[in-house]
Amino acid sequence: MFFHIVLERNMQLHPRFFGRNLRENIVSKLMKDVEGTCSGRHGFVVAITGIENIGKGLIRDGTGFVTFPVKYQCVVFRPFKGEILEAVVTMVNKMGFFAEAGPVQIFVSNHLIPDDMEFQTGDMPNYTTSDGSVKIQKDSEVRLKIIGTRVDATEIFCIGTIKDDFLGVINDPANA
Amino acid sequence: MARRRDEDDDLEDEEYEEQEEQLIDDEEEEYEEEEEEDRGAAIKKRRRSDFIDDIAEEEDEEEEDDDDDEDYGGGGGGGAGGGRKQKGKKRRGSEFFDDIAQVASDDEEEEEDAEDDFIVDDHGADLPDEAGGRRMHRPLLSREDDQEDVEALERSIQARYAKSMHSEYDEETTEVEQQALLPSVRDPKLWMVKCAIGRERETAVCLMQKYIDKGSELQIRSVVALDHLKNYIYIEADKEAHVREACKGLRNIFGQKIMLVPIREMTDVLSVESKVIDLSRDTWVRMKIGTYKGDLAKVVDVDNVRQRVTVKLIPRIDLQALANKLEGREAPKKKAFVPPPRFMNVDEARELHIRVERRRDPMTGDYFENIGGMLFKDGFLYKTVSMKSISAQNIKPSFDELEKFRSPGENGDGDVASLSTLFANRKKGHFMKGDAVIVVKGDLKNLKGWVEKVDEENVHIRPEMKGLPRTLAVNEKELCKYFEPGNHVKVVSGTHEGVTGMVVKVEQHVLIILSDTTKEHIRVFADDVVESSEVTTGVTKIGDYELHDLVLLDNMSFGLIIRVESEAFQVLKGVTERPEVALVRLREIKCKIEKKTNVQDRYKNTVSVKDVVRIIDGPCKGKQGPVEHIYRGVLFIYDRHHLEHAGYICAKSHSCVVIGGSRSNGDRNGDSYSRLGSFKTPRVPPSPRRFPRGGPPFDSGGRNRGGRGGHDALVGTTIKVRQGPFKGYRGRVVDIKGQFVRVELESQMKVVTVDRSHISDNVVVSTPYRDIPRYGMGSETPMHPSRTPSRSGATPYPEGMRTPMRDRAWNPYAPMSPRNNWEDGNPGSWGTSPQYQPGSPPSGTYEAPTPGSGWASTPGGNYSEAGTPRDSSSAYANAPSPYLPSTPGGQPMTPSSASYLPGTPGGQLMTPGTNGLDMMSPVIGGDGEGPWFIPDILVTVHRTADESAVGVIREVLQDGSCKIVLGAHGNGETITALPSEIEMVVPRKSDKIKILGGAHRGATGKLIGVDGTDGIVKLEDTLDVKILDMVILAKLAQM
Repeated sequence: MFFHIVLERNMQLHPRFFGRNLRENIVSKLMKDVEGTCSGRHGFVVAITGIENIGKGLIRDGTGFVTFPVKYQCVVFRPFKGEILEAVVTMVNKMGFFAEAGPVQIFVSNHLIPDDMEFQTGDMPNYTTSDGSVKIQKDSEVRLKIIGTRVDATEIFCIGTIKDDFLGVINDPANA
Repeated sequence: MARRRDEDDDLEDEEYEEQEEQLIDDEEEEYEEEEEEDRGAAIKKRRRSDFIDDIAEEEDEEEEDDDDDEDYGGGGGGGAGGGRKQKGKKRRGSEFFDDIAQVASDDEEEEEDAEDDFIVDDHGADLPDEAGGRRMHRPLLSREDDQEDVEALERSIQARYAKSMHSEYDEETTEVEQQALLPSVRDPKLWMVKCAIGRERETAVCLMQKYIDKGSELQIRSVVALDHLKNYIYIEADKEAHVREACKGLRNIFGQKIMLVPIREMTDVLSVESKVIDLSRDTWVRMKIGTYKGDLAKVVDVDNVRQRVTVKLIPRIDLQALANKLEGREAPKKKAFVPPPRFMNVDEARELHIRVERRRDPMTGDYFENIGGMLFKDGFLYKTVSMKSISAQNIKPSFDELEKFRSPGENGDGDVASLSTLFANRKKGHFMKGDAVIVVKGDLKNLKGWVEKVDEENVHIRPEMKGLPRTLAVNEKELCKYFEPGNHVKVVSGTHEGVTGMVVKVEQHVLIILSDTTKEHIRVFADDVVESSEVTTGVTKIGDYELHDLVLLDNMSFGLIIRVESEAFQVLKGVTERPEVALVRLREIKCKIEKKTNVQDRYKNTVSVKDVVRIIDGPCKGKQGPVEHIYRGVLFIYDRHHLEHAGYICAKSHSCVVIGGSRSNGDRNGDSYSRLGSFKTPRVPPSPRRFPRGGPPFDSGGRNRGGRGGHDALVGTTIKVRQGPFKGYRGRVVDIKGQFVRVELESQMKVVTVDRSHISDNVVVSTPYRDIPRYGMGSETPMHPSRTPSRSGATPYPEGMRTPMRDRAWNPYAPMSPRNNWEDGNPGSWGTSPQYQPGSPPSGTYEAPTPGSGWASTPGGNYSEAGTPRDSSSAYANAPSPYLPSTPGGQPMTPSSASYLPGTPGGQLMTPGTNGLDMMSPVIGGDGEGPWFIPDILVTVHRTADESAVGVIREVLQDGSCKIVLGAHGNGETITALPSEIEMVVPRKSDKIKILGGAHRGATGKLIGVDGTDGIVKLEDTLDVKILDMVILAKLAQM
């Protein structure tokens, strides 16, 4: 799920950036530091959309660095248990398949794939129903439900299922 | 069997009686002769045999009265005739010391039986030679001084022990009374004495004999020989000297080392481990001895009276050997070989002409196949063994074992059985408050709940279902931990101990877990698992080596640790032809390789650790990921999509290309500021980043363009010295010379040389003037100073000041390289983020030149009056003054004052959407993506006022200029052109293209369609279809 939220962060800035571009420097450093990161609480910071305010800087003893509290608005992406997502399949193997929804990697185990879909090996490993009507392979788009998430410092990993109503392939490049 | 032997003995006895004593006498003499040989001490020979005769007489009388008596103690009674009889008499006295011995000998026999049962037919229960063997020891029991003495002793012993026995066993003893019996300081002590191994009992008996001989001279109280303790006996005495005295002259006792047993441990010496084995059907047990030692077995029948158990095993039978044996052929005795367990196949047996009988068991009514005395059913071997030869404690069948047991046929009951065993082996405190549980047995089956309280056997649970009491007490055995798919768990016991993962599926009490590290499925019991948020891999470290370390091996090969096993590592060897994994023990590892080196990729771009590379040939072609280690020109790349070898791929640096910039490189060096600074570098088009504005920002520009060749990443970074005389000092790395680095100390004005391993380079403080060598770069570009002499580095800031507008427009997205691309294509969005509006817009005079120089010079930019892009650059060169920062004279160049406003000029300028302009903009953005142009693309070069030519880029030089071969097919003369003079040829539909930016930078493909500013591209190598910004697509030269 995407959220537009306000976060705060203390930015340390080197004195050499002080000057008329101080704000820009803070902002660009903030973007560099924050965008694309991931936190357990908020998920991935997708983009910074605005700066609410930059507080007064505090000069650190010894180093001359200045710490600015910065409040910024950003779009975050946080997958939740039970959430339905659409994702692109990136890899298929006998244990299941991996799919990606933006920065989030989701694994769908073969136990969580409908029983009538079977794994087929070959150049393009895939899961196919017995009648061959539905096929999950690389680059297929699937709708899945997240059943578990694990949040690391740098990534969020999810386990998903397509063993439920209205889940499964939504757009297959092979048929398109 | 033992019993039968006793009966035989009894019969024999009666015969012996008839034969009178004479026979006994004869026999005795035989013994004595043996004795003599044995010991060479026959001093008391005559007397003893006298005594024995007496006993024998007595015995005869008694014998008739009670045969039962014999039976009782006859466990070890294999001795023939007189020998045995003496014992019968003696027993009364010796009961006290020989109890354990008897039981033990029972054991042996039982075990032998167990072994023999199936293989040897039960004929000849009493083996004569065995009895003979036993005889050897019998006489030892009865070396006594004289009869009176013995009787006196007997009486005294009885008097002494009878009392205690009564008090101990006949009455109900309370714990307090038991406590009172514990040894105290006043009691005699227990000494541990070393004796010949295997002669413990003999020694004890010798000592007893000695006591009998010497009487009260020997001041020891008792002697204990324990079966399970080899090499030692215990002697109870008040003083060590007494023990020494007693041991003197005993040949089995050597080494005068006598150890005192601490009072606290005295009880342990004599306490018998009371193993209450609760064996019941369907419990899992393990075999303790024989071929099946360690094998899992399932109890099918228990005979408590005979202490025997029938178990079901997976047979380990070598059919060929069996066939040989049955046919009477001589089977080669190969003891070392234990056949692997596999199910008995009756047909196979028949093929080998082994007789298979099908019999019905009279007790159970089941049919068994009988092969050579062994019983089989459903491929399993049914074997009756002594209870002592199996262990039922702490049996934790592994999943595989259980699976095997289940495989032929049965499904349902296997589960129940394993459950019961599993539950029996639960540790204390298995359930904790808050655990999710499910009831697996009884009326409440399938009820879920949470543990509220645990007392002893009962667990109070809060049921999930409404309408039930708040808490229910459920027996622990009826509960099983419950997990739901998606739970993150940690395995706390069993073979997979320590692994964490997410539950994928729950099959009753078995969970399927997806391991966090290996991304493999693991099957575990719910009981072995706890919910946990931690992420571990199990063991990740042995000794100094950790998972994912690069190590040098014994044979000077090297590799990356991809898995840590219990005592060895799995190492992905540094060979690139094919992935090679070796199992390496700790001692085979020489050292860890922690060198940080840089290598060059196929296109001579520098690759350092953490850079993302793509493998372009070799077995792993097409894979990409960050470089984790570099050694001897070999890269270890981590590709998270690569499932083998923990995601690591080993490749030659020549077969890789760097993609994107080395973002992390910058991060690691902590030069975020300089990176940031690079945004501010003047975007003077001719050489945007060459502008020597005081070091650091500049450096980053150079770095990001792949211009860090030859310079170690460490140079310029601030480090801290960890070891040596300068420990604790911080400083900037000036130079690197092999193993040493020259560091300019912060606190002292000097440069020192420090060993590279003595520094820590993760001090995340950037230095204002890193990379001094770069500083003078401006002069390297010959044309630059001449063009803008006034700007050449003397004043580090004016550019920055002059470019606020562009900063505003670009910086926000600059760090995000992919973003950059689409942002370029949407010029309308420029400057639309008001939050970046600087508080005080810089004065227009400074701004004025910026848009002018920035856009006007970009080829194809139709902003300048001249209209020809080429013109603008030349105009710039010819008339530098208007662009001088200090001169507002730049203003005339700008068409209107509106262009100073941040939003407008950009918007206006960009709207035309000319490719040249777009193309250049990322360079202006200073996005750190390295050279914007890449070889093999078709470009238009504007060399002089109105002359332009088509050419193919051959090489991109470090300063951003390109070597171009003129002619559409690259067959003309070679020239060097600046980026500002180069314009990409816009590809058209179905042209071959090369991608200049984003994740696919460097990839080639075909433009299959154009949609506004987006191009639809089919990649050549993966055949993927991508929608990319036209700005980053360049036409590929046809050669």
